Amino acid sequence: MTESKREERAILVKMEDVHLAFGQTQVLKGIDLEVRKGDAVSIIGPSGSGKSTILRCINGLVTPQRGSITVGQTAVHELKSEAERIPLRKRIGIVFQQYNLFPHLSVLENIVIAPVRIQGVGRPEAERHARELLARVRLSDKEHAYPGELSGGQQQRVAIARALAMRPELVLFDEVTSALDPETVGEVLAVIRELVADGLTSILVTHEMRFAEEISDEVLFTEGGRIVERGSPASLFHNSSNPRIHSFINGLGSGAKTRESAL
Amino acid sequence: MLDSILAGFVTYTKSLGFNFGFLTSVYERTIWIDGISMTLILIAVTIPVSLVGGGLLAAALTSGRKYLSVPARVFVELTRNTPTLVQLMCAFLVVNMLISKALGGAQYNPFSPFFWVVAVVGLHIAAFHAEALRAGIESVPSATLEAARAIGFNRLQILWFVEFPLALRAALPAIVNNLVNLAKLTTVGSAIAVGEVTYASIMIWSQRDNVIELMIVILLLFSLINLLIARTGRWLENKLKVPGLGI
Ligand SMILES: Nc1ncnc2c1ncn2[C@@H]1O[C@H](COP(=O)(O)OP(=O)(O)O)[C@@H](O)[C@H]1O
Ligand SMILES: [Mg+2]
Repeated sequence: MTESKREERAILVKMEDVHLAFGQTQVLKGIDLEVRKGDAVSIIGPSGSGKSTILRCINGLVTPQRGSITVGQTAVHELKSEAERIPLRKRIGIVFQQYNLFPHLSVLENIVIAPVRIQGVGRPEAERHARELLARVRLSDKEHAYPGELSGGQQQRVAIARALAMRPELVLFDEVTSALDPETVGEVLAVIRELVADGLTSILVTHEMRFAEEISDEVLFTEGGRIVERGSPASLFHNSSNPRIHSFINGLGSGAKTRESAL
Repeated sequence: MLDSILAGFVTYTKSLGFNFGFLTSVYERTIWIDGISMTLILIAVTIPVSLVGGGLLAAALTSGRKYLSVPARVFVELTRNTPTLVQLMCAFLVVNMLISKALGGAQYNPFSPFFWVVAVVGLHIAAFHAEALRAGIESVPSATLEAARAIGFNRLQILWFVEFPLALRAALPAIVNNLVNLAKLTTVGSAIAVGEVTYASIMIWSQRDNVIELMIVILLLFSLINLLIARTGRWLENKLKVPGLGI
């Protein structure tokens, strides 16, 4: 959430009527979405409702059959090959539920590999930036460790630093705390909260309702491949008339509470 | 100086019942020493050929592109399932002859028997490396690959920076085994008169009655070479070991 009025900020991501099927299975059935520069938009919804697929459409990891997606000036739906999607991916960071770090590279190497190999940043500069990011995710003492030696929460913070190393315009977070022990959820959320406060544009798929309510400019609720409700955190969490949302939030409620006591 | 040491050695081993008399003949001694160095050179040249070939074949096998993976698969199956000696004969007696014919005579053919041994043995072992590496590449989790794509790596960068390093660690023990086989396989060169150690030894023992003596030396030589290969493999395995990575 930044100071300036939301409507005045430029649109960074726009999805219009996006339809996607894997074989015979229709997964996205008309997604419309707008994210402005500096926004934090949260996507909540039951498992299998298409949340991850929405994120993966935005950086071209999957290609919808119908609809348009633009990121800045790039028409993502017009990119025809893997090679054409690479410049787009360089501008977008993504953090996965299972961290997906490169297991054979040290923490520092995991962070510098993309700037050095893809952007052609000099090694000293890349390492300087990596150390800055490690300080930011509070892992300065772990730069020589390997992913296999770290806890889930630590690995996830490295994954966040890796995503930020390319200085992305947008970061996608896909249930980044779902695989973590309750004690380590808080440390990861704290990092994201700071990034959002500093003006990072982000889309977060999350089951941490309190966290989503606290940091989001807008919350979307997905079900069966559609966004069935959207609005400010307050309107969606407290004033929604949709019984499905109530039962979804209440269904998560008990788990989310114990987790947040760890914050 | 050298002569007196050799003479001493020959007399001493004679007292133990061995006949190393050929060492005092400069001609035979030279053939034999050249044979040992030829074996070492063959192995030293063929190892990198097999590794590069194996890497390229594995890349082709896992490329997901039919025009690369199908020929690579056919090559691997043909090579793995037929005897190396027959392949060498085929390459030297058939392919090499056709090349000579096409170039208007053997004197214009740039390919020597040495070349054919390196090529045939190198590619034969490359097929085994490729299978080991392919298994390693295919065991890289799809989530790790997706992360690499999401970062902006292209297909080759993913192969080089993610898949190969992980596959190599998984495949290293198999690759070292293949290299031990490679060293032994270089002896097929004797079939087409490449003067490596077995060829040289055969030339010497057919003139003298010293098969056992030369056999012992050959066996010791290969044991030593392969001990070195296995040790180097072990060393590399430890060097590449990643803490917390379960391979
Ligand atoms: N690569 C794929 N191939 C086939 N089906 C898929 C694939 N990825 C996701 N799906 C299916 O699409 C649906 C939505 O998946 P996903 O976007 O991961 O949902 P969510 O993130 O909301 O749990 C699920 O039914 C899932 O099984
Ligand atoms: Mg998901």
